[in-house]
Amino acid sequence: MKRKRLAFALALTTAVWSGLPSLPSSAAEEGGGPASRGAAKPDPATIAEGRSLFNQNCSHCHSPNAASPDPPRDLRRLSLRYGDHMREVFWYTVTHGRPDKGMPNWSGVLDEKTLWTIFSFLESIQTKP
Amino acid sequence: MPSEKTLGAAFAGALTVALAAGAGSAAAQTNGGWGAYGADLANTRFSALHQIDTTNVKNLQVAWMLSLGSLEAQESTPILVGDTLYVTTSSGPRYVFAVDAKTGAVRWRYAPEVPADVAATTCCGLDNRGVAYANGKVFVARLDAHLVALDAKTGKEVWNTKVADYKSGIAMTSPPTVVKNLVITGYAGGEYGVRGAISAYNQENGQLVWRTYTIPGAPTDPGADTWKGDSYKHGGGAAWYVGSYDPQLNLVYYGASNPSPWGASERGPDKSEYGRETNLYTASTLALDADTGRIVWHFQTTPYDAWDYDGVNENILADLDLHGQKTPALLKADRNGFFYVLNRRTGALISASPFVYVNWAKGVDPETGRPIENPEKRPRLDVWAKDICPNLFGGKNWEPMSYNPETGLVYIPSFNLCMDLIGRKQVYKAGIMYLASEWNLAKPGPGGHMSELIAWDPVQQKKVWGIKEELPFMGGTLSTAGGLVFYGNIQGWFKAVDAKTGAELWKFNVGTGISQGAMTYELDGKQYVAVVAGRLKTPPSFLADIGERVFAASPEGGVLVVFTLPGA
Repeated sequence: MKRKRLAFALALTTAVWSGLPSLPSSAAEEGGGPASRGAAKPDPATIAEGRSLFNQNCSHCHSPNAASPDPPRDLRRLSLRYGDHMREVFWYTVTHGRPDKGMPNWSGVLDEKTLWTIFSFLESIQTKP
Repeated sequence: MPSEKTLGAAFAGALTVALAAGAGSAAAQTNGGWGAYGADLANTRFSALHQIDTTNVKNLQVAWMLSLGSLEAQESTPILVGDTLYVTTSSGPRYVFAVDAKTGAVRWRYAPEVPADVAATTCCGLDNRGVAYANGKVFVARLDAHLVALDAKTGKEVWNTKVADYKSGIAMTSPPTVVKNLVITGYAGGEYGVRGAISAYNQENGQLVWRTYTIPGAPTDPGADTWKGDSYKHGGGAAWYVGSYDPQLNLVYYGASNPSPWGASERGPDKSEYGRETNLYTASTLALDADTGRIVWHFQTTPYDAWDYDGVNENILADLDLHGQKTPALLKADRNGFFYVLNRRTGALISASPFVYVNWAKGVDPETGRPIENPEKRPRLDVWAKDICPNLFGGKNWEPMSYNPETGLVYIPSFNLCMDLIGRKQVYKAGIMYLASEWNLAKPGPGGHMSELIAWDPVQQKKVWGIKEELPFMGGTLSTAGGLVFYGNIQGWFKAVDAKTGAELWKFNVGTGISQGAMTYELDGKQYVAVVAGRLKTPPSFLADIGERVFAASPEGGVLVVFTLPGA
């Protein structure tokens, strides 16, 4: 638990530094989704479905195929910014929103399966270090 | 539509007013001043000033600059009242500035605390396009859907009226229209499934005088039968841009936006043979009685829209010589790519012709006014339509055009982009974008350039000259009696060109992209030209790799730059 807290503290520092979502330490305990999903490598059909769902729901701010020209909105950088905590940051952000930055809370709008299908797509397009 | 009566009666009423007033001319044109967003309430963006002309414009120099203090899109046109310029910035607005128009010295600034979460209910970037002025008050519409009157001398709030609940997806980004004792405004929300409306408030106290909805709210409302089922409930039609006013006809003109959601299967039969399911009054121009808000006539440019061909583009009021007869016309370069000339008294179609490359429709039926669709280019539920031109930014977007009565030409900042589009299913939820679509907008049109300044003859309905620009989102235009057209591009170049030929006569880089049109004014015998600059943020984000080029060409910024001639 302590290790986890430390890891989240680091994630928080990185997030604030980079201007992407900050993550309260309680995030680890919320949602349940991050730990339970995505262990297996998603198949191409899931990634393709995720791409379509992303383009329907997210591309008006984050660009079609997540190729945003605006660095703070560029979701190809999630892995660079959050490393191993990308999954938790994703989950916390989509289930809480960042209304001050224009990001709505998708809870009750998109179900958990849809969100993780979108995540599978995002995982597949991460910029390599 | 509580304030609407039958169209027959409306036409009769309009005719009576017109006959009593005589042949209407456009609202008074600017005379050395610039008292409204579009120069005048006819939205001509034409100035009679001519100290700066084709022979000396090459000598223009910066007189002063003002940092606007915010980095979101800068879409404001300043207005001049006395010797004070009033200009706004983005983010709410972040500021309304009152500035000494000769020196740039700030006289006051209004910095309202607008809820930060308006960012989630503002579709297309935090912005504000400017203010309106009447009787000692400055009126500003805010992103939190509040309309505010400020004391023009001090910047203190005189009244503050909530127009709507922003949390449902409503924002206000454009200056209101001042008419008699009223201040009239619409609001944005066509991407959130709101019910569009135009509202008039008493200038003295901010109390509501009338409100006219642009779409039905109940099955018994007029126009409800133009929607599939009760789809009008989240049907959009937001009048989010600027209005025009003809004092002789006493008519206020507004455009209404696209219907919600973009994907059309929710709202009709999902095919080009849509019959009566036209989704009134979305993607339309509306003429309203200024005193009552009654819709006197409407003209729907894109019935049963499936392309996000939003109908809000500004309406220029001009009297054209048509077949030897002076005709009270309304000019609109629509998103859908057609240039419309209407009789602004009756709403009758005079002519419509494509001003950019258009392939979604073969033309406009002169009898019905309906576009003759190419069915292959109508996106349907789970069926892509490919290479539709223009794309959903339109042949022209909000960036304003200008009309020079001396050349008889309209100067249109246009887009040359195409798109792939498909309809999807989406469940409506308040405050969440309601688009029901997927798209690829990053497709340059024929020729590869992505913008063009087009000089357009509205009588002949033909292009006279054009200047191609590499990147999209070029700025609006200013026309002057000095024989000039001023405009800027997203790379930050502010240019003056010959209004007759398009020859470039002068340019200056202001350091960040220009989206808005410039304005001009004269004080103590000296003519100034003012332009606001600051690169857009959200619209380029729709464009992936093209958006990257836009971002690379122009840093964020926020500045008002004012030019004049040396020693004049």
